Amino acid sequence: MPTFKLDGKEIPFEPGDSIIKAAARQGIEIPHYCWHPGLSAPANCRMCLVEIKPGPQQRAMMLDVLEFDPSINDYRPAQKPKLQPACQMPAVEGQEVLSETSPHVLKARKTVQELLLLNHPVDCPICDQAGECKLQDYWLEHQKTQKRMRDEPIHKPKAVVFGPTIVYDAERCVMCTRCIRFMAEVAKDPVLDMRERGNLNEICVAPGRQLDGHYTFMTEHVCPVGALTTKDFRFKARVWFLRSAKSICQGCATGCNAWLDYDPRYNKAYRYRPRDNEAVNKYWMCDGGMLSYRAAHVGRVTSAKVKGKTVTVEAALSEVTKRFSDTSRESIAFVLSAQHSLEDNWALREVARLAGSSNIYVTGAGPGYKDDILIDEDKNSNTAGVVELVPSLRPFPQLIEDIRGGRVTQIIALGGVTPRNDPEDVTALGMVSTLVTVAAHEGALTEAAHVVLPATSWAEQSGTYVNRQGFRQVADKALEPQGASRPAWEQLRALALALGLEPTWTKLKDIRKELTVSAAAVQSAPAVEPSPAP
Amino acid sequence: MPRAFPKKPPAPLNAKPVEYVEKTPTVQSYLPEIFRGIGTSMRHWFKNTRDLIRGTRPDPVTERWADGITTIAYPEQKRPYPERFRGVHRLTVRDDGSPRCVACLCCSTACPAQCIYIEAGEYPEGDKRRGYERYPVKFVIDELRCIFCGFCVEACPCDAIRMDTGIHAVPYDSRDQFLYDKDILINFVGRDGTRETSNPRHEPGDPTHPGITRDHISH
Repeated sequence: MPTFKLDGKEIPFEPGDSIIKAAARQGIEIPHYCWHPGLSAPANCRMCLVEIKPGPQQRAMMLDVLEFDPSINDYRPAQKPKLQPACQMPAVEGQEVLSETSPHVLKARKTVQELLLLNHPVDCPICDQAGECKLQDYWLEHQKTQKRMRDEPIHKPKAVVFGPTIVYDAERCVMCTRCIRFMAEVAKDPVLDMRERGNLNEICVAPGRQLDGHYTFMTEHVCPVGALTTKDFRFKARVWFLRSAKSICQGCATGCNAWLDYDPRYNKAYRYRPRDNEAVNKYWMCDGGMLSYRAAHVGRVTSAKVKGKTVTVEAALSEVTKRFSDTSRESIAFVLSAQHSLEDNWALREVARLAGSSNIYVTGAGPGYKDDILIDEDKNSNTAGVVELVPSLRPFPQLIEDIRGGRVTQIIALGGVTPRNDPEDVTALGMVSTLVTVAAHEGALTEAAHVVLPATSWAEQSGTYVNRQGFRQVADKALEPQGASRPAWEQLRALALALGLEPTWTKLKDIRKELTVSAAAVQSAPAVEPSPAP
Repeated sequence: MPRAFPKKPPAPLNAKPVEYVEKTPTVQSYLPEIFRGIGTSMRHWFKNTRDLIRGTRPDPVTERWADGITTIAYPEQKRPYPERFRGVHRLTVRDDGSPRCVACLCCSTACPAQCIYIEAGEYPEGDKRRGYERYPVKFVIDELRCIFCGFCVEACPCDAIRMDTGIHAVPYDSRDQFLYDKDILINFVGRDGTRETSNPRHEPGDPTHPGITRDHISH
């Protein structure tokens, strides 16, 4: 692999890499606002300027400048090298680049930073970006001086509503055009552009349009400053109070890698942020996915229920024992859920195996909107995982048919959601003599269930999900279990005991071990590449 | 698994007497030091008593004997607090009586006792401050948790929280009475008797806050 020298350090690069990208891959950050690894490089923020030493046969391009000399208290002519934007200059074999070690570069960064802050309102206390703002970080890293301009800064429109999700503050904007480029290059909907010039420059929406579609939240995420804020997160929390857990979006089968930001003090999730994974979602997530963090709190089953009445888990389990005491376990139908983790489904499959039943069905949400960027038609996070566990699954319509035909009278199900919103399904589910559901979210199955056991959502337990590419991806635990909910595999263990079976697992570790043995042939998820900080 | 706090082992039955430390000169050398210490204390005691009798050193108790009273009847009477005494918090107000606070949570972040709870909200549609600022929907200080360090006052970028009421923390019957919410805090006055502060504040409509449209922009 060819290399170049950055501050005397050898940096390998792939042909076509820019200097900033090659450095970022080595974990060296060259400060930048407009450059984003997933977008084109316009080189308009001028923060990533570096000094490139001339080649052996070349002469350095020097610029004549005036430099202030305190000893004579006047300016005197001097020369400085022409600096180049690292985001646009391709790396060249053997070239020597100076970043931190060049006084010209350090001065340029300081000056650029001061320029970007000239008309900035510095309203960090009321800005939602405070704490994760590039302007704050780079001010501390590269400037650390007050601005010298004594004039009133230019005032520009504030709190401009761009669309149903995004609010724009022109005064905070540094005109990096990341949002414009994201909409044009990734979302393929060039609805944003800029107007005016110089210090009146601002982002605007195409006339007659508003910023809508399926990828508006990403414009806020790529914004390095607080210019774009989402209505959803605006004024809700201060980011330094939040903790992040590695999570997997549950919105569809794509399985986008995400950070789930939550406040441990209130046990509350506040937002999703995309987690970079070149193989799955690159740097992006869709709006529906970004908002799906709400499912950690909305529509949850948090207490055990017997015929709709809230009871303790113990009472619900003794009801299960009573209901299944005089029937053979072989006739029970088991319904896996494509919305629950691999571990939960494994536990239910194990209960079915112990019970000697082979009637295994699957449920989950029905198909929905799809596009070519990220969103998949299958709205379940773990369809591939369930298929991997039980290759000969029977679909949900088959279950309804079997209930109608009298072949299924007792059901133990995982998950509450059913794929269809059909009143006939509700009627059919009402025909079974016993329906036990272990569910995190409410749905047709929990409505019809005689006994409901509360399970934790994906945010409250560690779980494995297999996405449409067949990657096994682990979502970490963020929140503490809400109400009486426990991980579904734990509830299923209690359920197996209530049925008089002897469960073979006690801990998550046991299930994980079984899963690694059973899926040795299955491709494991690629590690998240150390991708450059956007 | 090893216990975090191991059980005390039972006393052995075949107990052995501990060897007595011999009183060598090295061991006993602490005695002169003790007498030297007592000597220092006595020297100061005699010096203070002499000053007292001569009248060269005022005594905090006896100097009030002239009035016939040596104590004060707290809480009816109070000793004057120093000028920068940190009393119960107050929320300062703007000219129109709304709180200066913009719910930035800086005080809550700085608070080492974590006694400040704030919920931020946006001004309603039509308010001239909408878009510029947010305001505290809830602002609660748990005065029982507060350690009166004053960090919240230092942290506040808007001079919105102050501890200049001069009010000493008050005892109550129940814990929830110590939860001072926004209405209570905003109605405390400072020592100057006002709810405002003398520091200026930019408001929408000032030249520094010309408006959220681009009407003012000229080319």
